[in-house]
Amino acid sequence: MTSENPALSAVMDSTSESTASAENQSQLQQATDTLNTLANTVQQQVLGRDDVIELVIIALVADGHVLLEDFPGSGKTTLAKALGEAIQHGDNDQNVDNSIVPFRRIQFTPDLLPSDVTGVPVFDSNSNAFHFRHGPLFAHVVLADEINRTSPKVQSAMLEAMGEKQVTVDNVTYPLDDLFFVIATQNPLDLVGTYPLPTPQLDRFLFKITMEHIDREAELSVLETYKQRRETETLTQVSRSDVLFARRVIDEQVNISPRIMETLVDISRNLRSDDRVLQGNSTRSMVLLLPALQVAAALKGRDFVSATDIELLLPRVLGHRIELAPGVANAEKILIENMQEPMENLARSTLA
Amino acid sequence: MTIRFAHTKQHFLPTSLRAFIIASGFWALSLSLTVLSGSVAAVLGCVVACALIDSSLHRSPLRYLQTYSLLAAFFAIALLGVLIAAALVDSSMLANMLSPMTAFNSSEFVAWLSLSFAITSSLRVLAHRTSYGAVIEIVFVAAAFIVTLAAHRNGMIHRPFFIGDFALIRGIDPASILMAFGCGAVLALAALLMMENNQKRLPYHFVVLGLLCFSLVGYIRLFGLPTPNLTNDLGLTGQEQANGSRQQENPFRDGENTAEDKEAPVAVVVFRDDYEPLNGSYYFRESAYSQFNGVMLDYTSRNDMDRDLIEQFTSTEVEAAVLPEAEDQLVPVRTSIGMLVPHRNPFGLVSPVGYENVANPNNLRFKRTYDAYSLAPEYDFEYLLGRELGREEWSTEVWEEYLTLPDDPRYQELAESLIANLRPEYADDPFAKAWAIKSYLDENGIYSLKNEHAYEVDPAASFLFGDLTGYCMHFAFAATYMYRSLGIPARVGIGYSVPASNRAGGSALLVQAVHGHAWPEIYFKDIGWVIVDPAPQQTLVDMTTDPQNELQQLLGDMLRDDASFEDFMSAQQSSAFSFQGLLNALYAIVLGAIILGYAIKGYRLLAPAIGSPEQQHKLSYRAALDRLSAVGITRHYAESREDFADRLTASVPSLSSMTNAHLAAALSTPQANPPQTDWWSKQRASINDEIAANTKAWKRTLAFLNPFSWLFSR
Repeated sequence: MTSENPALSAVMDSTSESTASAENQSQLQQATDTLNTLANTVQQQVLGRDDVIELVIIALVADGHVLLEDFPGSGKTTLAKALGEAIQHGDNDQNVDNSIVPFRRIQFTPDLLPSDVTGVPVFDSNSNAFHFRHGPLFAHVVLADEINRTSPKVQSAMLEAMGEKQVTVDNVTYPLDDLFFVIATQNPLDLVGTYPLPTPQLDRFLFKITMEHIDREAELSVLETYKQRRETETLTQVSRSDVLFARRVIDEQVNISPRIMETLVDISRNLRSDDRVLQGNSTRSMVLLLPALQVAAALKGRDFVSATDIELLLPRVLGHRIELAPGVANAEKILIENMQEPMENLARSTLA
Repeated sequence: MTIRFAHTKQHFLPTSLRAFIIASGFWALSLSLTVLSGSVAAVLGCVVACALIDSSLHRSPLRYLQTYSLLAAFFAIALLGVLIAAALVDSSMLANMLSPMTAFNSSEFVAWLSLSFAITSSLRVLAHRTSYGAVIEIVFVAAAFIVTLAAHRNGMIHRPFFIGDFALIRGIDPASILMAFGCGAVLALAALLMMENNQKRLPYHFVVLGLLCFSLVGYIRLFGLPTPNLTNDLGLTGQEQANGSRQQENPFRDGENTAEDKEAPVAVVVFRDDYEPLNGSYYFRESAYSQFNGVMLDYTSRNDMDRDLIEQFTSTEVEAAVLPEAEDQLVPVRTSIGMLVPHRNPFGLVSPVGYENVANPNNLRFKRTYDAYSLAPEYDFEYLLGRELGREEWSTEVWEEYLTLPDDPRYQELAESLIANLRPEYADDPFAKAWAIKSYLDENGIYSLKNEHAYEVDPAASFLFGDLTGYCMHFAFAATYMYRSLGIPARVGIGYSVPASNRAGGSALLVQAVHGHAWPEIYFKDIGWVIVDPAPQQTLVDMTTDPQNELQQLLGDMLRDDASFEDFMSAQQSSAFSFQGLLNALYAIVLGAIILGYAIKGYRLLAPAIGSPEQQHKLSYRAALDRLSAVGITRHYAESREDFADRLTASVPSLSSMTNAHLAAALSTPQANPPQTDWWSKQRASINDEIAANTKAWKRTLAFLNPFSWLFSR
């Protein structure tokens, strides 16, 4: 789909040039600008959550999904909606299927069926044929609220959508949008009548972000600016193709040094050999982490991944992926302990 | 009713540490008292006791037992052990079955095992249950160390042997090792205190430790370093009086002659000229009793008597007033004498003619050092036959003084009877007469340290006409009185008499307390004072001592001069491990390390100036980090470089851009237009400025001087 995008083909052409490094820089600058615009737009709607917004945008551009663990009324719907609405169909997106909308929200309940999220073929008596009616998954940003309240059947449908970017209904596969991005939430306290997400499903989420209550100043400004934000109509938007362009540019131009990869592998190995960890993180988690690291670097205006990106993202990526031994609770502490030595080696390696 | 005691549970480390300290106390204590098996048992018992008490005292059944019953039980264990040990050596069974040595060893083992177990257990129980118990423990450890070193007292600076020999072989002053022992003991005690879990007790214990230490300091302040404290063995080594006056003392009433410290060194004599006495003993005259005061002989109060003696130390050379006259029969001998014990007068090899103070090579050891010039006799006794008596210069009064004796006719009667048997040709010869008297005392006198005549009006008469049992003072007085009764001018010389064999071929001679002596002397015309000393053939006491060759040589070399003492030390060293060499190597290593440190530091600071542009991001950044680490600003462990730079934005803002450039070069693909060398040097300059603005001058000076500052930069 993306290969038909003229903007992207322009990118392909220019990178093939040998004297393209200055142009590369401007492209990367353009990608960074896109991300910053997106972040600013969302930040105008969601106050005091700059760190979460940053992570969510990283996940969006890195082609991952996010699991938010929080309490009701903390702004996750606002966040998802703002993000979805900040991305519009630009001039280059005419060929995109009309069925794709910017934002959809699904409230997960125990009696929800897979077809409720994927869509269902309905019989059209005019044409005497089945037409597929698109479900809420056909959107840029999907908010899957209280994902742990629904049955494993629905969860497995979600699994396919998130993992393969497609849904299969009646043995017919429908592709989802390239930008398909799931923000799922679950309440960490209210666990009655829930179906806890199985480990493979958790592994589909790039980040698990535990949201804290916002600080006093931010909460105050939420109340103060409530009315004016409700009335705001003119939000700066970025186009879908801009985001895809950024994704492509970042993937191509943000360098991941072999030292960074060594560090990641060393941390994983340390975690796996730690007695307090029952099951360490998968190799896939590291593979998923790489684009996220690139986006994080690009957000900072860098064209290389550095130690701070690892420090920022690794706890979010590994927090829900490592299983601790019974009786061990403090995952963050274990993670930090196991990170120390590889991170020190990484820092030293730049002078070696 | 059961009694519950509040016990603090002891952990493994404090327990084992405490066990180690108390065990080392036991080891030190047992070393001089038992054989190896006993020492091993002592250490073993101590360790077992510590482990047992610390682990089980808070458990049943020990926790329910009264402290006193526990102590009684431990006492019983000790008693039982000692009894078993005694039985092992008393009965011949084990000795027959195995060997006497095994029996002895096992007996020592059992005895020391039970003793150390019982003592340690008692100490531990008291320490656990009473507030003062830990103090007893500390005092015990301190006492164990002190008792071990007690052999060092009385000037036996080469003892205890296991320290002295160890030190001498390696060329170390034994005192240093003893100091180290002391330090070790204090450290051990402090460690014992530190291990006290109860915070409230800690100050209490430190007060005790402080008292122990400061009492020593106070003692030294008040009484000085301990000097050999003699029992004034034979009444001869009178201590130097502060006011210089001569107290009237009865030389016979000198207390108990227990000869307890008879081996204590008094002085060391170094012979500068070789001399070997004919009669087998070196005589050192310190003073003489020559004037009869109505009761007994005493120091003379006349200026015209005993002019060959000098009365006190002077700082310049003193010529004895009267020289011996038979110079062809006398050999000049120079000796250096170092006094380990203060004396009233200087003494010198008979006959001393001059003294000269010399520089003291070791103030800690020697109270006084001087050279004595002597004219030592080389004649044999035949040379004395047919000589006349007295000196021409003597006035009638002096003559009379040298002939006065107690108003007791028995002296003369006995003397006359003794010379009656002389052959006619010698009947009028003074020396023959004196020899007859000496021979009588040699054959009939009995040497004994028992002082049974001390409180008689005339102890000499009581001795001579009584049981003929006494010590040198009795013999000397009796002989002098008898000489005088025959008209021979005589006096009692006092000082030291050392067997010639003690020299053992060396040039140093150790004078010990046991060598204190008194002897009769006769003045022969043209010769001077000649010693005619009775030597009783029968003796009730063993006055022989082990030769102290090591100490003699050590002190002699110390006295001779520092250079030859060093020679002695280095001669001892050559066979053993060379400490000096090790020290030199250590110095060289340290010096080398410092030079290397500066070289590396300099290189790392200057490298950016000579490095290629491609290497600037490493070299310049490293130089900047070195500057920062020198003033104590370093990246934390596992902290990323950006975080480090962020942390310092307030004080060193330039680091941030430098860090970014550095990381971009290190982690990114090749840059389109990387920063140039001059950009890097500008950055380094601004970092230097920022450091200068934000740190104190002394810190920067220290940073400049520290050769290893670069080690801390990461």
